[in-house]
Amino acid sequence: MDPADIELRNATYRRFVQLGRAPTAGEVAGAIHRSEAEVREGWRRLHDAHALVLDSAGEIRMANPFSALATPFRVEAAGTSWYANCAWDAFGIGAALHVDSVIDTECADCHDPVRVQVRDGRPDDEDLLFHVLVPAVSWWQDIGFT
Amino acid sequence: MLLFRSEGHITSWLAGREPGATIPVTKLAQLASAWWGDRLDPRWRPHAREQNQAILDSVGLTGPFWSLG
Repeated sequence: MDPADIELRNATYRRFVQLGRAPTAGEVAGAIHRSEAEVREGWRRLHDAHALVLDSAGEIRMANPFSALATPFRVEAAGTSWYANCAWDAFGIGAALHVDSVIDTECADCHDPVRVQVRDGRPDDEDLLFHVLVPAVSWWQDIGFT
Repeated sequence: MLLFRSEGHITSWLAGREPGATIPVTKLAQLASAWWGDRLDPRWRPHAREQNQAILDSVGLTGPFWSLG
């Protein structure tokens, strides 16, 4: 991957962390002194490399583990909140930030609320189960469904 | 990639579909730490498939279901 694209990718993630939401191309462009068009071209290359995920309009949909869309996985850590793409990503936000976190989600079957506190990498409710429907080899065939 | 309260809830949610893989949330937390730990590191570089497979292996997620190809 080109160093300039890695710089763009890192700047996109930094702004996502700071804002608690996906940054716009303009916000990232301003942070790294590039044009909005250059940011969008770079985002497309990063999307093709699976380094982030764009929506059909070319906006950030996922900078895994962070989600631009509201999901049933809300994570609070270090005084900020983000949406995660799935249960795996929900645990990934605290892991990426290297801080404790609180995950507000639900049982996917009965929709009862579930709150998980993660301290030093360990969840406080150890009885919960994680289910992956799609085999690993197919995860990127439809990352939204996965 | 969802959380459930019990095996019974997974069975109910599947509604007859072929199940995938189920792991305890404690293992998920280990996996997340290994998989996402470098995501915000300024020295981050893309993971090769072999690196990601090694992370899955390191938490005991082996076999055809967990093969990245």
